[in-house]
Order: sequence, then structure tokens, then C-alpha cells
Amino acid sequence: MNGHRVRAVAKRIVLGFRRDRRSLGLLFVAPVVVLSLVGAVWGIATERAPVVVLATDRFSGPANVIDRFLASSAIHGRRATYDDGLRQLRRGEADALVWLDSPNATLHIVTEGSDPLANGTIGAAVQRAVADGLSSLGQLPGPKVVIEQLYGGADYTLLDYLAPVLVAFFAFFFIFLLSAVSFLRERTTGTLERLMATPLRRGELVLGYLAGFSFFALLQAIVILLFTVLVLRVHYRGNLATIFIVEAVLVVGAVSLGLLVSAAARNELQAVQFVPIVLLPQVFLSGLLIPVDQLPDYLRPLSAVLPLTYANEALRSVMIKGYELADPLVLRDIGILVAFGLVMAIGAVASIRREVA
Amino acid sequence: MFPPDKLNVATQFAVDARGVRKRFGTIEALRGLDLAIRAGEIYGLLGPNGSGKTTFIRCVAGLLRSEAGTLTVLGGTPRAAVSAGRVGYMTQVAALYGDLSVDENLRFFAALQGVAHADERIAEALRTVDLLDRRRSVVNTLSSGMRTRVSLAATLLHRPSLLLLDEPTVGVDPLLRQEFWAYFRRLASSGTTLLVSSHVMDEASRCDRLGLIRAGAVLAEGTANELVARAGTPDLESAFLALAEAR
Repeated sequence: MNGHRVRAVAKRIVLGFRRDRRSLGLLFVAPVVVLSLVGAVWGIATERAPVVVLATDRFSGPANVIDRFLASSAIHGRRATYDDGLRQLRRGEADALVWLDSPNATLHIVTEGSDPLANGTIGAAVQRAVADGLSSLGQLPGPKVVIEQLYGGADYTLLDYLAPVLVAFFAFFFIFLLSAVSFLRERTTGTLERLMATPLRRGELVLGYLAGFSFFALLQAIVILLFTVLVLRVHYRGNLATIFIVEAVLVVGAVSLGLLVSAAARNELQAVQFVPIVLLPQVFLSGLLIPVDQLPDYLRPLSAVLPLTYANEALRSVMIKGYELADPLVLRDIGILVAFGLVMAIGAVASIRREVA
Repeated sequence: MFPPDKLNVATQFAVDARGVRKRFGTIEALRGLDLAIRAGEIYGLLGPNGSGKTTFIRCVAGLLRSEAGTLTVLGGTPRAAVSAGRVGYMTQVAALYGDLSVDENLRFFAALQGVAHADERIAEALRTVDLLDRRRSVVNTLSSGMRTRVSLAATLLHRPSLLLLDEPTVGVDPLLRQEFWAYFRRLASSGTTLLVSSHVMDEASRCDRLGLIRAGAVLAEGTANELVARAGTPDLESAFLALAEAR
């Protein structure tokens, strides 16, 4: 192994991207744009009070309870008949129709139903409004509930939870894509053939690629972290160096996987077609959107072999919980990422055959 | 002028191929190819497209493994010669990094070959291909002829003992082609061995010896005059056709 040759390959990659402004934009501007959108969508408490219609022809009760219910800040309450309420629900003018079945003491909530996520939000809002209404009777329906959190807090938004995993996702996505396309260009333009006719060894070539792209991945991580912490005001407790270590080992896997994919593709269009195959399973199964422990049992083994699963867990532990590098969980995740990177790197070396035709 | 490396004394041939065979799926690209290239000569590999010229050059460059026969390059295996930095390979297309400048490309290839005093060597190579004034130009902005010249410069940086030039004058204007051949001659007279592939017959007369190749085998070997005399034809082109038909 010759360090000079590895350094030459890494430098060549860095110099090449210096003039490739589109790729640089993809690396640094695209994550900032996407994060801005994510911040706008999930970064502030945007819960809208649902419009709730009380079916007056099916419900009668003490006037002060009804008034308090309709005036609750949890909902936008209004009165209507049952039939009119249903009409409003169908037209999208109301989110829920509510009445109380007195003999059975059952509260009925009818929602439009096409959005399962909205159902839960509306149900919770109506229950809060009912509690407000009943409070006018001078007694609370059960003990007061106070929820405290070990990590995070009331001022944490969904973005705080998403930011650590987005750092990992962007690094993996862009570095995988760029390394796959870059290496494919080596194959298609004949430079790989030229490299293989020099003393450069295949392992040195892969190491050079890893070093060159790690440089960009770490720069990207700095941009993303600065943007999320300083502009989006994401809460952040961890150690920056630990975050970079997790990033670096994740990128080793991403670059190597890119090199492997480039061996299977004949042109850049084909390489891009690997993006959904490699990335979409990781979006859904790595805990990025859905916690891994909420996945169906049969999908867990698949989640367990995805690198982003461990990067997400490590980065959330570091950024939200403030875990140190020495924490056993963080060390275990880094170890698994290193193992993944090594396996992929060995695969990448094997994929570069001397017979490059 | 680049001084030559010392050629391995174990062989008098820079390249010695005996019964070399190479197959790609059902296609037999080399069918027991025999040829020997003496140290310090310009050997022209002449043949039509698809005759196996590039396949043989890639075998010599250590990029392809022959399936049968023996192939000795500078006294050892092709890969050993390449790893020792004793072989320079100029591919048919100017395989360069378009986003890098001429200087950055040459610096990169110099680093891979472990070239000391890279600055001087790069200047020397660029002077040879008459591109010293384009040293800072980005390769993508150069004409195809200029890229071919940069590609040749990249092959010369480490002063290889054996130069493999796969159709080096394709896309090069006649004046520069003349200069290329004059330079090849100077390299050979200083001890460098050159294997040049071409399908242009008028270039063949510039080589010391020729190997006429067709369907993966050598039809005939010798100087241009010898081949013409053997075929009893007025020129090399008709000699090639006559020798091909005789087979």
C-alpha cells in the first residue's frame, strides 16, 4: 500500500469537484433547501384546531357544558343539526361531527376518515374539548396527568427528532450517488483502464476514493449541522467530533456501495436507477420516519442489516441524548458501521477487475 | 529527450509472445499469437479493425490475462513490468480527467508512477507535445487533437522502457503526426521500445518492423520492404491483402 498514490487519488477527486459546480450544489445546497422545507413543515407547532360540529338534535346537556365545549381552544366548535353536520363533513367544511348517546353515555365522533393521521389528532382535540366542557361542572374526570421526558422537552419539535437522521441520510444519499457516478465515469471514459496500467493497486484506488469523498461528506456535515443548529434552531447536545466519526464510518459504506453499484451499471442512467433500490428501504426501515421497534416483526431483520439504522440510532443518541463516544450503544453502532464499510470496501475492490473491458 | 531505463538483461526481447490466446465469450480475439519485439525498436502492429491489436496491447499492459501461451514483458510478467513503472500505455481514446487542468492531470499520473521532480518532467513532456502554453487549460476546453497530445504526455512522464501506443495518431493533424513520429524515433534511438498499433498503412513504413495481424494471429513479420518483397506486390497495402488471402 502506497500512501502517496492513495493521496493522489483523493486529491484528484477533490480537485475534480472544485470545478463541478452542479455536483457541489447537489452536495451543499440541496440539503439546505430540503432542510429548510423540513424545518418549515415540522419545525414549529403547526397543529390546527379542527372544526367540530356538535349535532344539537342528538345531544342535549347543561348549557354551560355545551358552551364550554364549543368555546374550547382545542377545537373550532359550532352547532348544527346532525344532517347539516354530515353535509359539512362531506364538503370538507368541518373535520368532525360529534354527539353524545345519552342512554349509553357514549361520545360519538364522526370524521371524514380518508387521512388516518388526521383521525387521531381530531379525536385527541375533541377529548380535550370534552374535558374543558366537563370542567364547568367543577370536577375533573380523573387525575391530572403531567408528562415529563428524560430527553427533549415540550419545546422540542418533530424537526429536533428528525435533524440527526437527516444528517446521516443526506451524507449517505449524496455521497453514494456521487461516488457511483464518478466511478462509473472512470469505467466509461477509459481512465480506469489507464489507472490499471499504472502501479496503482485496486485497494489504493478504493482508499483514495474513500478519503476524497469523506472529505466532502465531512464538509457537508458541517454545513448541515451549522444550518440546523444556527438557522433552524434545532436542539443539539452532542459532541461534534463524535458526530463526525459516525458520519465518516457511514460514508465509508456509502462510497464503497457506490463503487459496487457502478460495476453493475453500464451508464449513468442505470446508476441512478439504483438509488430507489438502495435508499428507499433505508428511508422506511432505518428508523428515519418510523421507529424501528414499531416495524412489523418480519421487517426487523431487514432493518438490522441497513447501515442507516445504526447511523440514525447513534446520531440520535449523540445529538438528542448527549451520549459520548465511549457510550456502549454509540460504540456498538460505530462498530457495526465499520464492519459494513469494510465488507462493502472489500466488495468494491473485488468489483474492480483488471479486465476492465 | 528521455534517457531509457536499463532493460532487463535476462531477455533480448522487450515483448515475447508465444501462442497467446484470449477469448471473450464465444469470440476468440487472439488465436495463438506469436511475436517478439526487440529492445529499442519501433514495432508496428498492423491490421484491420477487430483483428486483435488492442486486445494484444491490453494483454501486454497487464489489463487482460491470456488464457494460453506465454507472454513475457521486459523479462517478467506483464503485471510485474507495469507495477515496476516500466510500461507506458496510451489508450486509443485520450483517457483524461476533463474537469482537471492539463497540469493537474499530468501531476496525478506522475504521482501514480512515483515520478520524482514532477515539475521538470511535466514541462519536458508538454514541450515534447507542444502544449507547454496550455498547461493551465482545463482538459474539457481542449480540442480532441490536443487531448491526444496530453494523453501522450501523460504516458511519457515516468520515462517507461516500453511504450504501448494504441492508434496514437488518430485525430492528430498531419503536421503534428509528423512530429509525433520524429519523437517516437528519438525515443527508440535512446533505447525505448515502442509497440504502435495502427490500421493506417502509410504509417507502417516508419516502423522498424511490422507484424501483420488478422483474426487474432500474426500473418507475417518483418520490415516493410521484406513484407512487400515476400508478397511480390508494389506496396504494403497490397502486400497485406496478398498475405491475408494466402492464409
